[in-house]
Order: sequence, then C-alpha cells, then structure tokens
Amino acid sequence: MDNGIVIMMLGISLLLGALALAGVLWAIKTGQFDDKDKMMNNVLDDGEDALNEAAEKERRKKDYRPE
Amino acid sequence: MNLSKVECTHCHLDFDEGVMIKEEDHYFSEESSTEQTTIRYFCCTGCQGVFHLLSDSGLDGFYDKLGTKKLSAPTHTFEDSSSFDTPSFYQQFVRKNDDGFEEISLVIEGIHCSACVWLNEKALNRLEGVVEVNINYANNKAKLVWADHIVKLSSIIDMIRSIGYNAYPYDPSVQEEKANKERKDFYLRIAVAFFGAMNIMWIAIAQYAGYFTGMDQEMKTILNVAEWVLATPVLFYSGWVFFKGAYFGIKNKIVNMDILVATGALLTYIYSIYITLLQEGEAYFDSVAMIITFVLLGKFLEVLSKKSAADTLDVIARHVPNEVNVLRKEQLERISVHEVKVGDIIEIKPGEKAALDGEVLQGEGYFDEASLSGESHPIFKKEKDKIISGTICVDTLFRYKVLKDFSHSTLSRLVSMLENAMSKKPRIEMLANKISGHFSTAILVLAVVTFFVWWLWPHSFDRSFMVGISVIVIACPCALALATPVATLIGLGLGGKRGILFKKASQLETMAKAQMLILDKTGTITEGKPNVIKAKVFEGFDASLLLALSTSSLHPISQAVSAYTKESYESLQTYTLLSSKQVPSRGIVAVYDGKKVLGGNAEFMKDNGITIDIESEYSLFFFAVDDKLMAYYELRDMPKEGVQELFQMCKDNAIHVVMLTGDHKNTAQKLADELGIQEYHSDLSPEDKANFVQKHSQKVTVMVGDGVNDVLALAHANIGIAMGSGSDISIEVSDIVLLNDSIKSLSEAFLISRRTYKLVKQNLAISLVYNLLTIPLAMGGYIIPLIAAASMSFSSLLVVGNSIRIKWKWRR
Repeated sequence: MDNGIVIMMLGISLLLGALALAGVLWAIKTGQFDDKDKMMNNVLDDGEDALNEAAEKERRKKDYRPE
Repeated sequence: MNLSKVECTHCHLDFDEGVMIKEEDHYFSEESSTEQTTIRYFCCTGCQGVFHLLSDSGLDGFYDKLGTKKLSAPTHTFEDSSSFDTPSFYQQFVRKNDDGFEEISLVIEGIHCSACVWLNEKALNRLEGVVEVNINYANNKAKLVWADHIVKLSSIIDMIRSIGYNAYPYDPSVQEEKANKERKDFYLRIAVAFFGAMNIMWIAIAQYAGYFTGMDQEMKTILNVAEWVLATPVLFYSGWVFFKGAYFGIKNKIVNMDILVATGALLTYIYSIYITLLQEGEAYFDSVAMIITFVLLGKFLEVLSKKSAADTLDVIARHVPNEVNVLRKEQLERISVHEVKVGDIIEIKPGEKAALDGEVLQGEGYFDEASLSGESHPIFKKEKDKIISGTICVDTLFRYKVLKDFSHSTLSRLVSMLENAMSKKPRIEMLANKISGHFSTAILVLAVVTFFVWWLWPHSFDRSFMVGISVIVIACPCALALATPVATLIGLGLGGKRGILFKKASQLETMAKAQMLILDKTGTITEGKPNVIKAKVFEGFDASLLLALSTSSLHPISQAVSAYTKESYESLQTYTLLSSKQVPSRGIVAVYDGKKVLGGNAEFMKDNGITIDIESEYSLFFFAVDDKLMAYYELRDMPKEGVQELFQMCKDNAIHVVMLTGDHKNTAQKLADELGIQEYHSDLSPEDKANFVQKHSQKVTVMVGDGVNDVLALAHANIGIAMGSGSDISIEVSDIVLLNDSIKSLSEAFLISRRTYKLVKQNLAISLVYNLLTIPLAMGGYIIPLIAAASMSFSSLLVVGNSIRIKWKWRR
C-alpha cells in the first residue's frame, strides 16, 4: 500500500475525530451536560414548543435589557 | 361506613371518596355527537386550584408527563412573599449579572420528577419579565434570571407557590461554584484524554502487529507522527493537573505521585519525539496517553464523590425559622428573627419551632425537646419555665418573653459552631498517598542511578538515557493510581445497595481504621419511641373506645398505645368522643355515651379516685371507664435489633464502645447494664457530646446519632453517621447515612469498609510487586514495547479484578 494513502486516511480520520471532539467540548463548556437526568428527559419534551421557547428567551433578553 | 378510595386528579394520592371534592365537567363531544361528563376528584382546594390554573393556562400537558407518579398535596401556610422584595433580602441573595438582569439561586421544594421540573420551568417562562430559569433535577436548585423593572421577585415566588411548590433562596457560595467548575474542567480534560488515548491505541495495535510481521521504517515514522499529534494535547492539556501538582509538590518539598506521573510522561514524550525524528527504535506515545488517561480517571473518580460542604450549610440554614409572631401594642406582628429584641413577647403555635430562647409568660403544655436534648418524652412547660430555641411546641399556644437575641440563642449558636466544626474536621492521611510518595522517590532515584551506571559502564548517552527512562515508564503508576479509587468505588456501590451511603470515598478507609465507636442512646441504640411491652385487660374492656381515646392525643405514650391497639385487634369501630380534654403531665379525659373515659398515668388515676397498686420500672398507661380500671400497659423504649451483634463485632475488632445521652443517669445506667456497655455518659448537652468527641481526637472516632443534639458531635468525629430517619441537619453533617435505620447496617458499614480497605492494601501490594518484577528488567535494559504494554494492562487488570472481590462476601 502506498504510504501516501495511509497518511491521507490517518489525516482525514483524525480531522473528523477532532471535529467531533470539538463538538463535545463545546457542549460541555456551554453546560449541556450539567444535569444529566434533565438532559435525557428533555429529549422527550423536544419539539416545536421548545424551539419557540428558545427563540422567545432570546427575544426577552434583548427586550428587557436595562439601559 | 366503608368507602372506596379514589385518586386525586392533581396529586394522585388516594383518599376515601367521602372526603373528596367532586367536580363534574359536562362538554359536548363532536366525535360521538353526545354530551359527555368527566368526573374529577380533588383531595383539597389547593389541588383543585392548581389543576384549574394549569388547565386554564394550557399547562395540563403536565399530567401526561407525570404519569402515575404521586405528588404531595400543596400546602397553604407560606410566609408572606412580600419579604422577598425587601432591600435587605436583595442585598443578601440577589446579584446583578453581566447583562444587567437580576439573578437569584433558589431551592424549589416539592419537586418529585421531571414533570415537576418541566411544569415549573414552563410556568415561570410564561411570566413576563422572566429571562431565564434553569432547574436542576438532581438537587432541585434553580437559577432564576429576571428583569426587576418588569416583574417583582415576589410575583415570581407567588407563581411557584400557586402551582403547588415552594421556593426559598440560598447563597451559592464561592465554594459550590468552585466545585462545579472543577468538575466541568475535569470533564473537558477527560474527554480529550479519552479521545487521544483511544485513537493512539488503534494506531499502536498496527505498530505491535508490525513488530511481529515486520514493518518498514517509513511506515513506522508515519504512525509515530500520528501518535505524536494525538499525544500532545493529552499530555499538555489533560495532563496539566499533574504538572501543576508536581510544581506544588516540589515547592512544598514533597515527592508526590504527580511528580512521578509528570516526569515519567514528559520524559517518555521527549524520548519518543527523539526516536521519531531519528527514525529508528520504538516510540512510546501510547504509554504517555495511557498513563495520563488512567491516572486522570482515578483522580476524577475522587472528584466525583466529593460533596460540597456548601450544600450542607444551605440545608442547615433552612432549619432556622426566619420570622416570628411578636406581640406589639396588643397586636401580633410577623417580623424577622433578627429584629426581635430581648424582652419582646413572642407567640408560638402548636407545631412551630421556637427561634429564640425565652421564658414562658402564658400557656401550659408540652415542648418536644428530643431534637436538642435527646429526651425521649415531650417536656411539660408552665409559667416561668425556660424555652430553648430549636424545640417544638406540641399542643398549646404559648406566649413567652425573649431572654436572648437571635444570634445568642441556642439554635443559631449551634449552627455557627457547626459551620466552624465542619471546616476543621480531622482528616486522616490516606495509605495510597503515603505509599506513592515513597514509591515515587524510589523510582526517580532508581532511574537516575540506572542512567549513570549505564553511561559509566560505558554505553552511548542515547542508550543509557533510554534505559533510564524505561525504568520510569515501566513503573507506570497506573495500577497504583487505580488501586484505591476502583476498590473504594466498588465498596461505595455495595454500601449503596445495602442502604449505607458513604458521602466520600476516603471515608471507607477512615472508617476501617476506627478505634472508638460513640453512640447516641435515644433513636440510635433504642427505637426512640416507647413501645408496649406488656398489656393487661380486665372484664368489660372495649378496644375501640381505647383507640378513640388514645388517638386523640399526640403524646408518644398514647400514640404507642394507639398503634398497639390497632395492631392487636381486628374490626375496630370508629367512636366519636365528646369533650376530649388533655390534662398536662397526667393524661386524657373524655366522655363517650354518657360514660367518663380516662387514660393516663397512675397519678391521673389517683386524682380521679381510682387506686392503683401496680408498679413497674418502665412507663405505665392506665385506661379506665366510669372510674373502673379496664386495662393497663407497660411501655418502654426498646433497644434496636442487632445491637448485641454490633457490640460483639466491636469487641472482636478491638473497637471501644461508648454511649452518650442527654437522658438521666438512671435510664442510661439501666440500658448500659442490660447491653453490657462499659463506658457511658449521661445528662449531656449537645456541647458536652461534642467536647467528649474532641477530647478523644487522638483516636479515630466514629459517632452515630440521629437528632440535632448530636449534630455538633457528628461534625467533630472522624466519621459521623446519621440514621436515615434522623433530622435533616444530622444527615447533612454526617459522612455516612444509614437509610434503613437499622443497627445491622451499622455493623455492615464497618464490615464493608474493612473489607474494602483490606483490598486496597492488597491492590497496592499487587502493583508494588508487579513493579518489583519489571523494574529490574528495565534496569537491565531488556524492556521491549511488548513487555511495557503487557505490564501496563496486566497490572491494571489485576487491580480491577481484585477489587471486584469486595462483593464476594455479600453475594447471595
């Protein structure tokens, strides 16, 4: 097997792996795994409502901000 | 009348149909084109109110999520929520966040399941002005962010109360935030370490395969470079804690395991880079990643089992009443305990806890002092008697004069002493730490010696350096680092399954070294409440009448008689007594069907003209109808089951047993003689108990108790153990909680900790022996990658496998 192919395969797989790791690190940092019971339960409540609520939360943060 | 039980639509608790509020809802069903009726039952107006509030605001999805789980019915007595809007409250609990919003940390009471969390978050999110609410499912703590110019905090609290929950603030101290941050930091480092180590492993497998089947140097170098890329973040990011630990170790002139891990991993890393660039020999990047990952995992297990002391103090502060009713200008005013002055007159209702010390002005009745003094019976108080804060008013309304202000009253003094004691709790140095220090020093010295011997022998610098490093690598402290955490984790798991909660892993080891067992009497050695041990009934006795009379009083003796009657007789009828009256320190008198019914002690019978010639060393309860004795009962606070076995176990293991009690000397002596307790101390105050424990601090002490009166002593002992049914405070302060309250669990806690400790010692021995065998090989220069890898995994596997043996003894 050509060594060049091994280098390419290693490089790509490590890059993809690193991307996934970056995602996990971002999720930990933003507190998405802080409460593991709630995280699992929230999967059940996920839906349009949850999205609307998230949007509403952002709106409130902007609207209510004291000058 | 026999009624069927129905379920409350809101809280799902079962009640007799007769006491329920019935509601019929008629609606037109389009599906069947007929009028339909839904019947709902509510146990109280609270539940009814919450149900309608939820359905009106479209939150009735809560009931789907709740399923068949039961809630507790909403309570009605809340402090006025306007106190949440006072400047002093804001100063204490409310912070401003970076965006300029107000922020508070709350503990939400009444959360049972994820549906409750969902409901609270939904309801609060709908409130205009609330920016963010986040409730933690595990500890019921919530972070609430809101815009104060739009909604007041009191309205938010009212909202929580209106849906059947309650909230109180707590101060998220620096400590707690620090603990959370530390945990998160570890998650990040572990994630990186695992990612690196696992990827290096599959590359390493290719290299090992190549070792046997032959692999050209160019391919080896490609794989080495890939491993180098992966090992770098593992060593410098995940392994940063070890470099930090090593730095502090050197600064304080202590050789610790961190130094060994840091130097070993760093030297191996540098050496492997050297090999990679040189393009000959074997690189050990896989060892670097594995060492860091395994040892970090061991450290992480310890961080996980750490419980922040901050949590504890939040719960304690909650037990102190915030407000009291003070009589001012003939009017009752509810004011903060801090504003009460000496000489103020306080009114206290049955069921309330006294917040300040004082002296009775008006009222005669009982006070439950069990939580403070351990006295098993409520104490009768009349005019001029002293009231101690922390005790609970049992049956009548009292007015009393305040003698000490809040900060000098017994209860708050106890709390502040507790905060002190908890921060100064004695700790015992763990065996693994002791060993790893010596081990690390020895390995470093051996490595240096090996290097010089090889170099001077004479060999090339390269070769000598490699052999020197291989000594450190082979002594890879994986097994040593895992020896304690794995064994203790299995010990903790085993304890948890058997109702013994160790709050910290290190307590297993401390407990195993115990030399002195100190026990509280009431509620720990004994049941804590009287039980009928002998009953005698005479002709004409009516058990239903006795039941009606005994249930009408809250006194423990009459409660015990009532429980005994319910147990001993079948098909009892429900009688309604007329004019039931309690005579303090005497008994109960009532009228039924024109007959005078009496229940109480011998003096009470004498007062009513009945002569009693029965005597007993225990408490007696007499029951008479129309001045004729119908029955009498002998009651005592029985020792718990398994006490004798526990004492025998202590004797076998050379643990000295001491009994401490706030009870009188006679009671204590009787029990001590009966159970064969050599040393006991009676008439002790909470401070005396704590002093006793402190006096014996040169020994490893285990204190077992249940009430508030034991809290200080629990905090001072090396190991404090609380009975599960004890007060919340004592559970919080203790290191071990026995959920099922049994003495057998206590014996088991000793056995589990001793067995775990024994296996920890074995594990340490295994890893040391393993190193003793492999280090000479390394010093001789015989280490090939295969042996290094095998040594690493085998020693770790042996340690893990050995730890599992803890469970063997308890396997059924």
